[in-house]
Amino acid sequence: MENQGFNQPKNGQDTARAVLELRGLEAVYETDDGIVRAVNGINFSIAERETIGLVGETGAGKTTTALSILRLLPERTGRIPSGQILYKGQDLLKKSEDEMRLIRGACISMIFQDPMTALNPILTVGDQILESLEVHNAENRTHGELESRVDELLSLVGISPGRKKEYPHQFSGGMKQRIVIAIALACEPLLLIADEPTTALDVTIQAQVLVLMDELRDKLGTSMIMITHDLGVVANTCDKVAIMYAGEIVEYGSVHDIFENGTHHPYTTGLFQAIPNMKEDVRRLHPIEGLMPDPSDLPSGCKFHPRCPKRFDECNDGRPYLYERGGHRIFCNLFREGFDS
Amino acid sequence: MSGILKTVDLKKYFKVGRNRFLHAVDGVNIEIAEGATLGVVGESGCGKSTLGRLVLGLLSATSGETYYDGVNIYSCGREEMASCRRNMQIIFQDPYSSLNPRMSVYELISEPLVMNRACENRKERLARVVELMETVGLAQRFINSYPHEMDGGRRQRIGVARALALKPQFIVCDEPVSALDVSIQAQILNLLMDMQEEMKLTYMFITHDLSVVKHISNEIVVMYLGQCVERAESKELFKNPKHPYTQALLSAIPQPIPGRFQRDKLLRGEVSDPIDPEPGCRFAKRCRHSMPKCSTGPIKLKEGGNKHFVACLLYD
Repeated sequence: MENQGFNQPKNGQDTARAVLELRGLEAVYETDDGIVRAVNGINFSIAERETIGLVGETGAGKTTTALSILRLLPERTGRIPSGQILYKGQDLLKKSEDEMRLIRGACISMIFQDPMTALNPILTVGDQILESLEVHNAENRTHGELESRVDELLSLVGISPGRKKEYPHQFSGGMKQRIVIAIALACEPLLLIADEPTTALDVTIQAQVLVLMDELRDKLGTSMIMITHDLGVVANTCDKVAIMYAGEIVEYGSVHDIFENGTHHPYTTGLFQAIPNMKEDVRRLHPIEGLMPDPSDLPSGCKFHPRCPKRFDECNDGRPYLYERGGHRIFCNLFREGFDS
Repeated sequence: MSGILKTVDLKKYFKVGRNRFLHAVDGVNIEIAEGATLGVVGESGCGKSTLGRLVLGLLSATSGETYYDGVNIYSCGREEMASCRRNMQIIFQDPYSSLNPRMSVYELISEPLVMNRACENRKERLARVVELMETVGLAQRFINSYPHEMDGGRRQRIGVARALALKPQFIVCDEPVSALDVSIQAQILNLLMDMQEEMKLTYMFITHDLSVVKHISNEIVVMYLGQCVERAESKELFKNPKHPYTQALLSAIPQPIPGRFQRDKLLRGEVSDPIDPEPGCRFAKRCRHSMPKCSTGPIKLKEGGNKHFVACLLYD
């Protein structure tokens, strides 16, 4: 009974304010080589104006989670066998494709990782922002009104509206990412999913883009899912953090729970030890030994146990114990009551 | 101190139009002692990769010299160059595009051995490939695998094995970990440090990430638009960054401590145009401390004690 799932709402008080809520979401890719279990039953919810960070290595299922929310999984292979995605209480998995088209971009929009490939190279940036406004033009605004909205959006992200007739190749990487942000925010969505928005950028430009996103979020009241593998970015932008491993959330809590509290999932501890520390002088780094498991052949029990330095027999099967202290949740047998290491 | 590698006023200009030149590397003097690591840091477009290719002789310089073990690599004969080449190697940034997808791991690692006729026969070559795979921590079962079957960390290990195949003395590491996840990044950095200790290797480590370079370098050069703006020993640079650009780079790294960026310290604007730059400090337009005299003439690197060189009028 104790391990029903992560972040299951107990009495619905979460659902009232939540912009988005995931319940037991599973996503698989059906390939010729077998079923790839990319997301294995994750639960979390995002309140208004809240930013949640999804952290994990390549292959942890972060991007698959994001694509599932927008129902953008590849048509032929991607499938969501179970779970619910509630956007303001409505299950997105029950919507038709036409209804989803009206939600994407207008209610939930996404910033993709690589600004170099996210923009169409043969359309001017102004036209690309306009496209999103035209698709979701519910109020039947005139072309002139929409054009002035494009100017407004460009100045919002710090680009001179005079450059709207230019093509993507005429902009630098940081500028392109600003344009992608302008497109994503064009219809003032309630929820923004940012998939590694700054990974392809230099540190100085990354800082500028993160500050810009922060300001826009405050101004527009948007909720955000920040997908990243950089714990530094999370610490500087998020309110809540979910650490993902092999398609599961292994630890969840407020940014202070994750970055300050002493109790952590061994994987979280490993991630922190692997980052080069700017303050201390250590010659060797401490990587997590081994590799992320193959998602088409996941280990039984705790998915992290083959790499875990603190594993014991109990970890081999069954769901790990759920440790919970005031919103901070860790899935690990180490914290089982009466257990003594 | 006599370095194994030394450049003198090295310049590389690319012609980009009629009488217009892109100043990719503009008067860089570096020296790397044997067995040491020089970190080269800067944003995209600052010329750090061009510098790496210049010192290997993969690009010809517009002016200036590079000496490897006392040999001027731009004016030496073909045979001398060939022997230098064997001793100098490069590890590329992207393990996804730097490996030929049609070659198996065995073919990839043995290629440099074949090209340089380093092994007498097949048996010896196979033994050497297996030995190299063991050195870089690749399980032997991958010997007949192809790059697409492997993840980024393992692919980068192939890149390291290829660079080590001819037992070089000097390796240019061009952003070897920036395409990798943090946990894998740490594995590769540790591997590079172990290799250095075992084989007395000399590294030139090119990266845009100061936190990576801190651990591996003895000395660090900070580059901005083709010029070296600050040079110091690693510890000294992190303790006491002097150039406003270095300070900005350091404060832009997101720290894993909850809180928001200190906005007042962030850099405004982006790297300006490297085509025919104006005289004076190239960073002046983005600098918080810029003064009228910053744009008057060339600014030289000056030592302010502790082997700490900085090119900034604030420290005149």
